[in-house]
Amino acid sequence: MSRGFTARKYFILVLIAGIGSALLIRLFFIQVIADKYILSANNNVLRYITQYPARGFVYDRNGKLLVYNEAAYDLMVIPRQIRDFDTTGFCRLLGIDVQTFIEKVEKARKYSSYRPTIFFPQISKENYGFLEEKLFRFPGFYVQPRTLRKYPLAIAAHTVGYIGEVSPAMIERKPYYKSGDYIGISGIEKSYEEILRGKKGMKIRVVDVHNRDMGSFQEGKYDTLPVAGIGLWASLDADLQAYGELLMTNKKGSIVAIEPSSGEILALVTSPSYDPNLLVGQVRSRNYAMLARDTARIPLFNRALMAQYPPGSTFKIVNALIGLHEGILKPTTAFGCPGGFSLGSGKVVKCHAHFSPLQLKQSIQFSCNTYYCHAFRNIIDKGSRKSTRAGYEKWRKQVWDFGFGHKFETDLANELNGNIPSADYYDRFHGKNRWNSYSIISLAIGQGEIGVTPVQLANLCATIANRGFYYPPHIIRAIGKADSLNSKFLKKHVLNIEKEHFDLVVDAMEDVVLAGTATGARMDSISVCGKTGTAQNPHGKDHSIFIAFAPKDNPRIALCVIVENAGFGATWAAPIASLMIEKYLTRKIQRQDLETRMVEGNLLR
Amino acid sequence: MLRYIRNIQGDKVIWGIVIILSVLSLLTVYSATGSLAYAKNDGNTEYYLIKQLIVVVAGLLFMYLIHLVKYTWYSKGYIIFVTFLLSIGFLAALIIYGLTINSAARWLPIPLTGLTFQPSDLAKPALVMFLAKLLANNQDKIKSLKIYLFMLIPIILICLLIFPSNFSTAAILFVSCLVLIWIARARMAHIGLTILAGAAFGVILFFLIMHYPKAIPRGETWKHRIEVWLDDSKADPEADYQITQAKIAIASGGFFGKTPGKSTQRNFLPHPYSDFIFAFIIEEYGLVGGGFVTLLYLTLFFRIVRIANRCKGNFGSFLSFGIGFLIVFQALINMGVAVGLLPVTGQTLPLVSMGGTSLWFTAISIGIILSVSRGLEIEAQEEKTSFKISDNLYATV
Repeated sequence: MSRGFTARKYFILVLIAGIGSALLIRLFFIQVIADKYILSANNNVLRYITQYPARGFVYDRNGKLLVYNEAAYDLMVIPRQIRDFDTTGFCRLLGIDVQTFIEKVEKARKYSSYRPTIFFPQISKENYGFLEEKLFRFPGFYVQPRTLRKYPLAIAAHTVGYIGEVSPAMIERKPYYKSGDYIGISGIEKSYEEILRGKKGMKIRVVDVHNRDMGSFQEGKYDTLPVAGIGLWASLDADLQAYGELLMTNKKGSIVAIEPSSGEILALVTSPSYDPNLLVGQVRSRNYAMLARDTARIPLFNRALMAQYPPGSTFKIVNALIGLHEGILKPTTAFGCPGGFSLGSGKVVKCHAHFSPLQLKQSIQFSCNTYYCHAFRNIIDKGSRKSTRAGYEKWRKQVWDFGFGHKFETDLANELNGNIPSADYYDRFHGKNRWNSYSIISLAIGQGEIGVTPVQLANLCATIANRGFYYPPHIIRAIGKADSLNSKFLKKHVLNIEKEHFDLVVDAMEDVVLAGTATGARMDSISVCGKTGTAQNPHGKDHSIFIAFAPKDNPRIALCVIVENAGFGATWAAPIASLMIEKYLTRKIQRQDLETRMVEGNLLR
Repeated sequence: MLRYIRNIQGDKVIWGIVIILSVLSLLTVYSATGSLAYAKNDGNTEYYLIKQLIVVVAGLLFMYLIHLVKYTWYSKGYIIFVTFLLSIGFLAALIIYGLTINSAARWLPIPLTGLTFQPSDLAKPALVMFLAKLLANNQDKIKSLKIYLFMLIPIILICLLIFPSNFSTAAILFVSCLVLIWIARARMAHIGLTILAGAAFGVILFFLIMHYPKAIPRGETWKHRIEVWLDDSKADPEADYQITQAKIAIASGGFFGKTPGKSTQRNFLPHPYSDFIFAFIIEEYGLVGGGFVTLLYLTLFFRIVRIANRCKGNFGSFLSFGIGFLIVFQALINMGVAVGLLPVTGQTLPLVSMGGTSLWFTAISIGIILSVSRGLEIEAQEEKTSFKISDNLYATV
């Protein structure tokens, strides 16, 4: 039939070949160009469900619960899987309007079309039950259980810190985190993030395009179980902390109480503070904004660790100890006080009225400015024969050794350095070799350029209580088990100042309370040793400062109280400190009147 | 045994393609029916493999037997009439059977065997044989309208009978027959008019489907399929997710595939072993495997056209071309559906999809083509021998 099998066959051949090519091109198109299906290939078919571990609880030193978890549910969305459905019905279920719905879906799409995004965070248990029944009607949506942090006592907000969704920058740095994960942002939650968070697990489920669960993938061979976070025992004494917060009501300032024998922080009060439950769940961002806007009270500012004050007269103890160690001061060294220390050219460091001359112990007891101006001059000028600068650097090194001017680098989140100016600073300020001990004489009485944080002052007090050493202040005493000990920070830091000098200073501090500047802190049953301070403040009334420890022998608590704009140390800080001591040592307050006066005192304007 | 193998004649390339496709059929069916085996046979995964093995071997046997028959035998009037009348009878029976079970049926049970078969599978080669005979006998008058119209009658009759149960098969058959007539030198004008008429019929049908889907037996299914095909966003996941799943299978296969047995889409594709076997093949064997299968069918077609071209008799030529076109056309339709070029139809991939009788009819069809091919070889052999004898004659003289 070859004679007549017309040219038409070529047409058919070309046609069939053409169809074949069209098929191949189409295949290529689906595979290479349209990525839509390859994305669904892995994500439609296998859904990786993150199994969030329960975050570790936090207890106080007596086992009282400070932080625990409550179940909540995040509504997740995979934008690529959304199909047409009853949007109004869906919005009504969630109580949002359609506009919000569209915006949220758009936002999720912008992050990723095929990865789950939190659509509606932290649905309550009740709403969850209601929603789950109907969820199958809304392809692309599913629910993921999460945990919310709860703070039953609502204390120590700054110390426990809070958690929040991880930032994109953090995800980049630490790939463990995925969008929507929670991470500790401040406080213990931040310092102990990796212990508290546990380990995420992964459940791989096979789902069809309708988002229906078709069972586990390969009988769960590739699933991983979440590992629950580990519990922490904070060194805080919840009762003391709460009491401190009560005392600081309507006052600015902070209380830091340390157990001298271990460096464990017993109370870390910052005032004004806030209820940590405000920064949980859906309301977090709104409340955070509200707190951040409060520029008058600055409740988010962790004063105990971050506020830097001139230590005022409490610093005289440091100078006394340095002087004693250097042999510049003797217990019997006396200076006369004519009501001030003259700097020449009419400038005077004033002092208040007290008898004169004073010996060293009395200089502490009555907090004589003149005495310490003399002492400081001698320390700087006789410390080194070479120059003021060398003398100053020597002094500064010793101050540094007390824990000032630098962080303790323990587990305190957002701690600040404080400031003990370097000689270079004065060189810049006054000019090289153009300053001497007179130029910096304010340092003698803890004023001037110096800045210390409350926790550093409390540590000074603990050092004195220990007669010459300290353990760096830290907040977590046990990890995993209540009776285990967090030994990481139990590194004894011994100062190179002899114990007998401390004994002298301790006696003087006892006199301060018994018959000195802080008789308001005196208690019959407990021997309190303390030192007042009044930090001058260019912005208003002086800050009232008091450091104290008790009992005198085998001290169990050392603390620092700072009340801003409250005047003399003796007026507010000393009574508050004594109440704290009473509370901690006796668990009961005898002096109800004093307590009421302190609690009700309103120093906020 | 060797004797039988020596008896294998006809185009060796076609044999090769059939063998490759049969092996592929076993591999894919075994892999694709895993979950089906769990659902229906207590996890006996070998069940479908063994069943398909029997079907394939039997199919090859049929093919072998059919190709041993001299193809001119198929041109005998009574053979053609008997198969044609049988087809009409079975199709009519199917419609009646469909009425009794109150839905359009595709499968007719064969009493006592537990087997079922699609009458259209028989009707397809039967019609092509009938048409080839008519075309061959009327080559001299092929340009006359009368003859042309006469030839349309069996086509339209068979297609109309198939139409209610299986629109796509009817359409494929109709188009194939038209192509065959056209190849057989019918007047372009006649073909053109038929296409116009067909198009008009199509438009009316389309209108009916889209607006009165309930007026036609499977109207609603058709309407929906067309809508889904026309508009991706209409793909209602509750009802019709086959296409999406097929595309996922294809896309996730990648260039080299997930390797045999590693498909995950087999759990989602509704018929990974039949209608959507091509998507499944691409998932496991990749673009390379899919392209290879496409090339196999194209090669098959070119070999068949080569046979048709060389065949001296018009009947053999038209027969092999018609049947070949039908098979390859169906294969391309199946693949076109799998890759989303065409709306969903129920067309299987010839020789690969799991199935019994359907595969056998395809095997028999190819057997007929091979029979024509074998005839060509015998003719060539005879020519050569006769030449030699005459040569010798001269030598002895």
